[in-house]
Amino acid sequence: MSKHPTIAEHLESSGVSRRNFIQLCSMLMATAPIGLSLTSKKSVLQVAQAIGKTKRPSVIWLHFQDCTGCTETLLRTSAPDVAHLILDVISLDYHETLMAASGAQAEAALRSAMAENAGKYVLVVEGSIPVKDDGVYMELGSKPGVQVLKEVASQAAAVIAMGSCASWGGIPSADPNPTGAVGVDSIITGKPIINLPGCPPSPYNLLAVVLEYVTMGKLPELDDIGRPRFAYDRVIHENCPRRAHFDAGRFAASFGDEGHKQGWCLYKLGCKGPVTHAACSLRHFNEIPGVWPIGIGAPCLGCTEKNVVWKMATFQTVPIHLATPPDTYPPIYTSVGGAKVGAAALAGAVAGALGSATYVYSQRFQSSHEAGVERIGADANHIAGMDEAAKHPVQKED
Amino acid sequence: MAITRRDLITNIAKAGVPVAAVMSMSTMASAGSESTQAESLPVPNAAVGLLYDASLCIGCKACEAACNEANNTPEDISGDRLHEAPVDLNVFTRNIIKLYKPTDGSPSSFVKRQCMQCLDPACAAGCPFQALYKESVTGIVRWDGGKCIGCRYCTISCPFSVPRFQWQGFNPVVTKCELCSHRLAKGLKPGCTSVCPTGAVTFGPRTVLLLEAKRRIKNSPGRYYQDRVYGEKDNGGTQALYLSRVPFAMLGLPEIGPESVPSSSLRWQERVYKYFALPALLYVGLVAVIRKNLKGHEAEALEQEKETGLRAQQ
Amino acid sequence: MSTTVIKLPGTTRPRWERAVPVYGVSVVNPFFIGLIVMALLALVLTTYREIVGLGPVSGMNDMFGWGIWKTFNVVVLTAWGSGAFAVGTAAWVFGRKRLFPLMRMALLTSMLAYACGLCLLGVDVGRPWNFYWVFFPWNWNVHSPMAEVAICMSVYAAIPLFLENIPPVLERLWHFDVRLQPIVEKLEHILHKFFPLIIAAAYLLPAMHQSSLGALMLLAGQRVHPLWQTPFLPLLYVGAAAFMSFGCVAGTTMLCCLVWKRPMDREVLDEAARITAWLIAGWLALRTLDLLFRGALITAFRFNRYAGIFWTETFLIGYGGWLLYRSLKDRQPRTMFLGYTISSIGGMLYRFSPTTLAYMPGPKAMYFPSTIELLIAIGFVSIGIAAFLLMVKLFAILPAPAQEWRDMAHYFKFRKPYISWTRYFNFGFFGDIEPKESD
Repeated sequence: MSKHPTIAEHLESSGVSRRNFIQLCSMLMATAPIGLSLTSKKSVLQVAQAIGKTKRPSVIWLHFQDCTGCTETLLRTSAPDVAHLILDVISLDYHETLMAASGAQAEAALRSAMAENAGKYVLVVEGSIPVKDDGVYMELGSKPGVQVLKEVASQAAAVIAMGSCASWGGIPSADPNPTGAVGVDSIITGKPIINLPGCPPSPYNLLAVVLEYVTMGKLPELDDIGRPRFAYDRVIHENCPRRAHFDAGRFAASFGDEGHKQGWCLYKLGCKGPVTHAACSLRHFNEIPGVWPIGIGAPCLGCTEKNVVWKMATFQTVPIHLATPPDTYPPIYTSVGGAKVGAAALAGAVAGALGSATYVYSQRFQSSHEAGVERIGADANHIAGMDEAAKHPVQKED
Repeated sequence: MAITRRDLITNIAKAGVPVAAVMSMSTMASAGSESTQAESLPVPNAAVGLLYDASLCIGCKACEAACNEANNTPEDISGDRLHEAPVDLNVFTRNIIKLYKPTDGSPSSFVKRQCMQCLDPACAAGCPFQALYKESVTGIVRWDGGKCIGCRYCTISCPFSVPRFQWQGFNPVVTKCELCSHRLAKGLKPGCTSVCPTGAVTFGPRTVLLLEAKRRIKNSPGRYYQDRVYGEKDNGGTQALYLSRVPFAMLGLPEIGPESVPSSSLRWQERVYKYFALPALLYVGLVAVIRKNLKGHEAEALEQEKETGLRAQQ
Repeated sequence: MSTTVIKLPGTTRPRWERAVPVYGVSVVNPFFIGLIVMALLALVLTTYREIVGLGPVSGMNDMFGWGIWKTFNVVVLTAWGSGAFAVGTAAWVFGRKRLFPLMRMALLTSMLAYACGLCLLGVDVGRPWNFYWVFFPWNWNVHSPMAEVAICMSVYAAIPLFLENIPPVLERLWHFDVRLQPIVEKLEHILHKFFPLIIAAAYLLPAMHQSSLGALMLLAGQRVHPLWQTPFLPLLYVGAAAFMSFGCVAGTTMLCCLVWKRPMDREVLDEAARITAWLIAGWLALRTLDLLFRGALITAFRFNRYAGIFWTETFLIGYGGWLLYRSLKDRQPRTMFLGYTISSIGGMLYRFSPTTLAYMPGPKAMYFPSTIELLIAIGFVSIGIAAFLLMVKLFAILPAPAQEWRDMAHYFKFRKPYISWTRYFNFGFFGDIEPKESD
């Protein structure tokens, strides 16, 4: 077998039957989120063919200021076959939690993985990176984390920032951020970076990105802060199963009250669903429907959003920016136009100025007339000045 | 000596009597037929139109979406920046479904509003350089951007408030339904009528649609408001015809009467300016009077010049 | 104020004998600078409007397609400033010779009102580059009141009104340099030859377009409230233009005389006031009869804002007219000035109502001008006023007794003898027919 077997070859050598492989592919097609090229394929065989031909890409997984929750979420699949098989689709060449090696052997493994797949491996980063005081607050093998990241990322084909910590700083970056924790894209430039915020994010976000890369050779469409659109396009509120309660005005007022027991909307308990971009309301966790924060009665914290979680109080209600889609019809006559305060004030000021000017000048007419001056408006000085001037003939001829 | 009022009136009358006689006779002749103006308005040969039966409409708004697609207009998401839900006709919306829902529980109704393609359109009557014009064959009222100066007089004169001006940008257009002329040219039907699931809006020659409307009224007596087709005679006749169970005025279709807006409002304007005769006559009279006055004025100016020793002012 | 009565040489009342430039007053003063600032602001905002379109800068919307630029600066202000038409017709057609001294003021105010109005019209229309169609008569829609207004106003402002305003300029050129005099005299002669044709057009065209401005709203039909909508709208509009413009010309002349200390000619002003009062009386009668015979008068007695506006404008016009009539009796210039002002405001309200206040395109539609819209409108009016202040000092426009011309000579001879480059005011070229010593 070649040093870099294709996925089909690898699976065969692992003892996975072709039937199981096709089953995997059909499961991938069914479970992969919409928005990936994978789901637009017409038949399972096409997918199997595409995946089968690909060489397993090398993946290097680095941990920084993390809790390892993002790795844990990847393993939290109730059907271990799926995760295991999917992990067979990639070659995980360096992962501090999962690999057996440690110490100098681990460092050697990293170096050889980088050397063998230089320019082709995908770097997955978990955890934020401290940059304050030259990055002394987190070191890998006596090297500051910042330096390690830069070194490994320099040879990577793409960087995936797994979790909120790697995407924008996460928990370590909460005020007062004593270590200067930042996300990957504050340090690395010039490489395609995909942010998968969430604390932890849904494992399917990572798996789908990896699949897309593996099968199509390209990364999914990103929004303006590097999050893949297929997962982070909409806010929780838009697809929330409790939305009908929100629309009808049925809210749980406190934990454990009747409404809470009935599963009513948690908006008044500070649910950040309306301002949090994530797919949790569609794709729950641990592959069990209903296993997600709102589903168990805990208001969403907004763990994907930098400006929400740890910036807004847990029970603070959020403004709703996206209104309910108008399923009402426009009335026969629409209201349009109206006065603005500034314009009305200006118009009033102009009218007032003109009115008072009229009054003032009309009074001056009056006073001139009452003075009995026959020649209205003319004043004595003018005439006197002329007489004075007449006494002094012009000095120079023109 | 200045001309007296008597002289002026006599001058004008001398020249004006024959002209006035001719004009009054011609207007009296046409006055008799004003009550049946709708019949006397020329209907184009192949006049096409729409028949909208509000009692069949279910408010699905497929016509709104199809219209946007047929005319290649971007969606109007100005409401909440997310959903395409226009509240009125505008530069992106050539037809719209509105709902009349009375609060007292009497029957409600949808209404589809778009250009009525009037037989004597007020918008075209007011347009200064004929940017809005009625096609002679099909009778569709169309807008020509090459002639429009953007004065928005059409928005003022249309009794149905149909033409909409584009308020954004430096190259504004005037938008309204033109019965998908580009599709008609290819033998297709307008976008809205192609997708209506219940057949509430249908397309065809005006004569055929009128017969169909009358047939429906006859087959279901008492179903339709006043057993009447709106647009048969209203506003002098329109090519978009309406059937409704509720009063038309409730749907925003004004009761204008059988005389079209241009003919009822501009009658005297047309009479006074006919052949430009009166203004020309007046001009001749004015020149004569002013010439007389000018001579007197000159004489006085000369006198004043001598008196004051200063050059006379014109 | 002293109560001594100052007697002029001679016991006769002051008469306006010729137009004299306003001298001894500097053009640049705080008011003028304020006007220029407003004008510049308007120009900047106009550039912004050209870039972003009409929506962001104005309060116009789909229901109210016309904002104050059309309905006020054009429909109202050009009527108020149509003095060349009204005063000219009274003077030249109906032979009211006493009004001749007001002619130059009328012509200048008209020129400026039309210029500002038409420029703002150019700003208001959405696709002005297509206006070249005005040169293709076969493409005109001859039945359209809008076509009539656009074409007639442009032709009027460009040709007759412009030509009528040339004499003061030629006069100044005549005084400017002896060498220019033959050319100027030749031009004046040509102008004089065509004078009847030009000013006949100058009275016909405004009659046509001031009435067509009224006909514009005829086409709106039921959308204008019945208190205003009538087949007589064009006639009422041109009548309103007539008495308003008298107010503009005579009122402005009175104000200028007050501010720049000129005597006022009672006979001229009385004549103007008399004519205006009669015009107002006739106009009110026509309006009342029209309302009566259409059966619309009853709507004036309802308690809504339309009735309120109707009574306000009727009261203003009527009271103004009555004040003018009374000023003939009580000899008070204040009464006359207020009469002109109040009747003008009433006339403005009347002409403005059918386009905006009494225009009902929909029960929930509203319109109010935006701040930028107001600023641009004010700015264009400021340009007009500033231009007026400048012209009245450069050219002989404001009427005065002949003695004022000689006073001007004295002023420049003794106060500013060193100003020889302003030959207009140089004593040696002061327009005496024969060079002689002035008294």
